[in-house]
Amino acid sequence: MKRNQRFRSGLVPSLNPLGFNLERWSYVVHRVTGVILVGYLMAHIFETFQLGGGATAWANTMSALHSLGPLEMIGLWIVAGSALYHGGNGIRLTMNEVFGMFMGKPILPVYPYSPTSLGRNQKIAVWTVTALVLVLWVWAGLYLLAGLGVI
Amino acid sequence: MDKITLKVTRSDGRRTSYDVRYRKGMTVLDALTEVREKQDSTLGYRHSCRMGICGSCGMTIEGLPKLACQTQVSSLNTDSINLEPLHNMEVIKDLVVDILPFFELHRSVKPFLIRNDIRERDHSDREYRVLTAEVEKFLQFDYCIVCGLCYAACPTAALDPLYTGPQAITQAYRYMADPRDEGWEKRINILDTSHGVWRCHMAGACSFVCPKDVDPAKAVQLARMEVLKRRILRRRGREGSKPVSPPVAGSTKEGVKAPPFDFGGATR
Repeated sequence: MKRNQRFRSGLVPSLNPLGFNLERWSYVVHRVTGVILVGYLMAHIFETFQLGGGATAWANTMSALHSLGPLEMIGLWIVAGSALYHGGNGIRLTMNEVFGMFMGKPILPVYPYSPTSLGRNQKIAVWTVTALVLVLWVWAGLYLLAGLGVI
Repeated sequence: MDKITLKVTRSDGRRTSYDVRYRKGMTVLDALTEVREKQDSTLGYRHSCRMGICGSCGMTIEGLPKLACQTQVSSLNTDSINLEPLHNMEVIKDLVVDILPFFELHRSVKPFLIRNDIRERDHSDREYRVLTAEVEKFLQFDYCIVCGLCYAACPTAALDPLYTGPQAITQAYRYMADPRDEGWEKRINILDTSHGVWRCHMAGACSFVCPKDVDPAKAVQLARMEVLKRRILRRRGREGSKPVSPPVAGSTKEGVKAPPFDFGGATR
């Protein structure tokens, strides 16, 4: 262990939710989906940038993407899931942080302790977001697979 | 379970195992004390009150920050217990971490009542009346024992060493919500920065591990709402300072000098 270094600090420990609460898992998924969306945004900018090269360059880019086969649609499916989760969870977090919803009011702690900010309302909010995202993600998957001609 | 094994991460990064005879009601702190008394006197850990009040014995037990004195061995459902120092803090020796930077964060938010009138502060002859409904707004956050578990659990603190942290923000809010306090403007300036309330991502790990149900996640969101309110009011050209209740006399008549404090015959 090095001196002058904080113990188990940094990116990897911050993304380890094992043993923690549901909201901490949600935090990790939110981070990961955010990174996926940024990656997609970069790729999308690069893709549309090819338009500047004219019709041939665009056609070449499209054919390169289509040559990926099912991976292209699977990638898009992952991006769709990321966008859905990041957006849905973002709405929940905005409700938490701007309007104080699902947080509860300050109370007198009574043992056994159960923090109201992680209480029933918060759990319902997290699971509602997760359920909605899953339904929409399955729907998006079916739509993309139909595009592939699988179903 | 007759025997438990403590696997302690030492200062040099090695993990040392100690076998301890289990007895009913044994806490992790009991087991560590037994190790130090009978097996290895060089084992470093910090403790004091042994009853969850001083907040000294915070450590990472089976991956989660907990107070060793309040953690029953039987509650861990394993006979092999992994012990590490608290995360996000520098290690001094074995399980002892340098808690001073964390205390500095606590101090930075001025965790005390601020009154602008120095004469009133130094020669106080009156008491401040606080209604029960007003006390309820901050009493929960007053139970903090400054153990550092919330800071160790916070994923934002893991990424940003300059982050004010859940504990300090909670204490800032505790005094901001106090009707006797006049330091609202000073504290809110500390919180309204890129390393302040805006850095929290509401992972809720702080509240999950808090041994006193102080619920720092709630306090951080409440503090954030106060900061947001001030920003909106400023944009509208109105200052966001909150009204402060003045000290009141012991009598119901304003301006009547209160009788000296009665300590019930106790000497100070």
